[in-house]
Amino acid sequence: MKKEILQLLFRRIFTSIIILFLLISFLFFLLRISPGDPSLKFVSPDLSPKLAAKIRDSFNLNNSLVDQYKAFLINLVRGNFGISYTYRMPVLSVIKDYLPFTLIFSSISFLIQILAGFFLALFSVKKINGAFDKTISKLSLIAYAIPSFVLGVSLILVFSSALNLLPSSGLSSFDYSSFSFFQRLSDYALHLVLPLITLSLSGVAVFYKYLRENLEDVYNNTFVLNLRAHGFTEKEITRKHVIPNAINPLISVAGVELGILFGGALVTEVIFGLPGMGRLTVNAILSRDYPLVIGCTFISGVLVILSNLAADLIKVRVDKRLLKSTLN
Amino acid sequence: MTSKLKIWHLIIAICIALLLLNYGLVIKTFSLIIIYLQILLENHPNEIIPIEFSLIDSFASAILVVIIPVFVFLLRKRVKIFYVPLNFTSAAIIILISFFIFAPFAASSNPNFQQNISETKLLPPFSSVEVIHLNKNKKPEQNLIGKFYNLKKEVVKNTFDESIILADSIVFTKVATIYQKGNQVILPKDTILFSYGKPVITKKLFLFGTDEYGRDIYSRLVYGARISLFVGLGSVTISLLLGLSLGFLAGYPGGFVDTIISRVTDMFLSFPAIFLVILILALFGNSLFTVIIVLGFSGWMSLFKIVRSEVVSLKQKDFFISAKMSGLSGYRLLTKEVLPLILAPVVVNLVFQYGSVILAEAALSFLGLGTGSSYPSWGAMIEAGQNYLTEAWWMIVPPGLCLFVTLYAANNLGKEINLIFNPRLKG
Repeated sequence: MKKEILQLLFRRIFTSIIILFLLISFLFFLLRISPGDPSLKFVSPDLSPKLAAKIRDSFNLNNSLVDQYKAFLINLVRGNFGISYTYRMPVLSVIKDYLPFTLIFSSISFLIQILAGFFLALFSVKKINGAFDKTISKLSLIAYAIPSFVLGVSLILVFSSALNLLPSSGLSSFDYSSFSFFQRLSDYALHLVLPLITLSLSGVAVFYKYLRENLEDVYNNTFVLNLRAHGFTEKEITRKHVIPNAINPLISVAGVELGILFGGALVTEVIFGLPGMGRLTVNAILSRDYPLVIGCTFISGVLVILSNLAADLIKVRVDKRLLKSTLN
Repeated sequence: MTSKLKIWHLIIAICIALLLLNYGLVIKTFSLIIIYLQILLENHPNEIIPIEFSLIDSFASAILVVIIPVFVFLLRKRVKIFYVPLNFTSAAIIILISFFIFAPFAASSNPNFQQNISETKLLPPFSSVEVIHLNKNKKPEQNLIGKFYNLKKEVVKNTFDESIILADSIVFTKVATIYQKGNQVILPKDTILFSYGKPVITKKLFLFGTDEYGRDIYSRLVYGARISLFVGLGSVTISLLLGLSLGFLAGYPGGFVDTIISRVTDMFLSFPAIFLVILILALFGNSLFTVIIVLGFSGWMSLFKIVRSEVVSLKQKDFFISAKMSGLSGYRLLTKEVLPLILAPVVVNLVFQYGSVILAEAALSFLGLGTGSSYPSWGAMIEAGQNYLTEAWWMIVPPGLCLFVTLYAANNLGKEINLIFNPRLKG
């Protein structure tokens, strides 16, 4: 059994590496064949052709495409993504400044989505077609249809502009440096309330919808009736028999969702001016910072693959029958 | 609870309302069509009338606004779909589609109409301004071509109209005094247009207010609906073609080709699609058509997975094998044997895809990478409104609501179609 898992895991990792490699190569050539010149941002060839050529040289853009690709691959094997054109720093150290925020922010949002969706579904399944169930189902449909940027801007409109309760942008206040540790923590928390709502609401709706349907299906099974007839308490039935059966499809959805979150919550970051991976990636794209684009893509690709893998592993742990079909 | 109202009632009501509200414009458009046909038939060798999109647009809407209610009324017994009961979803979809078709009549002005910006900018909803019409001594043209151009000016709404001035209030004694935000402008009598001895002063209503450039938000919403639906339609078609053909191509022969295409799909899925879209738009420029193509190319993966798995399982069924044995070509196998069987999941997927494409287009416009500034887009409107958050909430709320209603309707539609195909699912 264990050997089988390891074997499958090994195969999975191998294909993941190939996929990542394909992705990066695809991006590399896409960036190189696209019109436009990254050196134009720094110096116009009309001003000084020599300097422009020098800059292009320093970006290693004057060599032939094959040579560039070779150099790129050699650097890649050494774990070196090159130097960012705009930041003038190694790509990985640029990413290092942005990644922790994204990891923390998306993990909190992910927890909110899972927990809120889970408990709302549990409560509403307690009395199917009751008042609570009906309202929450309707609300979840509405929450799912609200685009995140509409939600974010409306939240700013209500809570920051009209009521003046919560800060609307950034991660910390101006007089941040004078705060004590706990003040800083609460300052962070206040700044993150609106972004977290913006990012999490539609996810809560998705998880709620999935779980509610699954839970209802499981409750309608005959084995639940059987357990009830045997005198098990409702709490016991729910906890031991219904939830483990209902939770499985949710896990893969959760894996996909986590991967998307780790890629950076672009729209939320833009609305609230937060320093995350999404904005870093888009800024890199817009300023044609080729090494940084590839670095960001690589990191988010790795995170997507890892979260999907984690989801599949958990799935296998919950239900061992799924071993072959999921870990393939 | 099934309501007595069916969707054909709504369709006819909308058309009649548009006809009643714009009867003058409709009549003018029809006379313009007649003049246009006359010019075409009479053969004026020296004059070539350029065919503009806005002109064709007006013609088409004028003809359709008369034809559609008649047809719907006549065919209502035969075509089942007109008897779908009216609820929130179907009403929203009908209204959006009628915005799409009848935009020139539904909108009160050109979406980019700008005049007297200081006067009209950032007006709240339901505010109106006075309009004084100037005397541009239009002489009645005898020539057919001259008539055509005169009439065209009245039919096709322009981004600027030199024959009117907008003002807060107008006082007319011997000369007209115009008050514009504290400024006082005096117009001599001979510049003003008179009819029956009185100066022509009308009112212009801004239903949802105006934006920072004094453009009517309601008209922009109507034209924005057009962009949204158009982008959705275009990209969903591209996704459909790509997903179908690639799915069939991968699933039918299997083996090596299958592995390669599936791995490439995995590659696309391992990277958030929005970044790929932004990347391509940033590198290759963003126009309406690139947005459509790129969104189409970024959405085929889910369809591919459905088609491929269905084809793989169909391949071993007897009817498929016998069809293959009888010598059907690959294309005919796809259209005759595979397509009818996978229609249900594909249609449901397409409807959901439609919603997500509209959302993606709006998000792109919101990030400033959308369809460009020449077309109003809901996302771009919200983005512009962000800068005027404290003073003009009406720049954000109407487009936000429109977007929400569209997405909500698309999701519900997908669910309802799913129910029709799989009646055993519960609602």
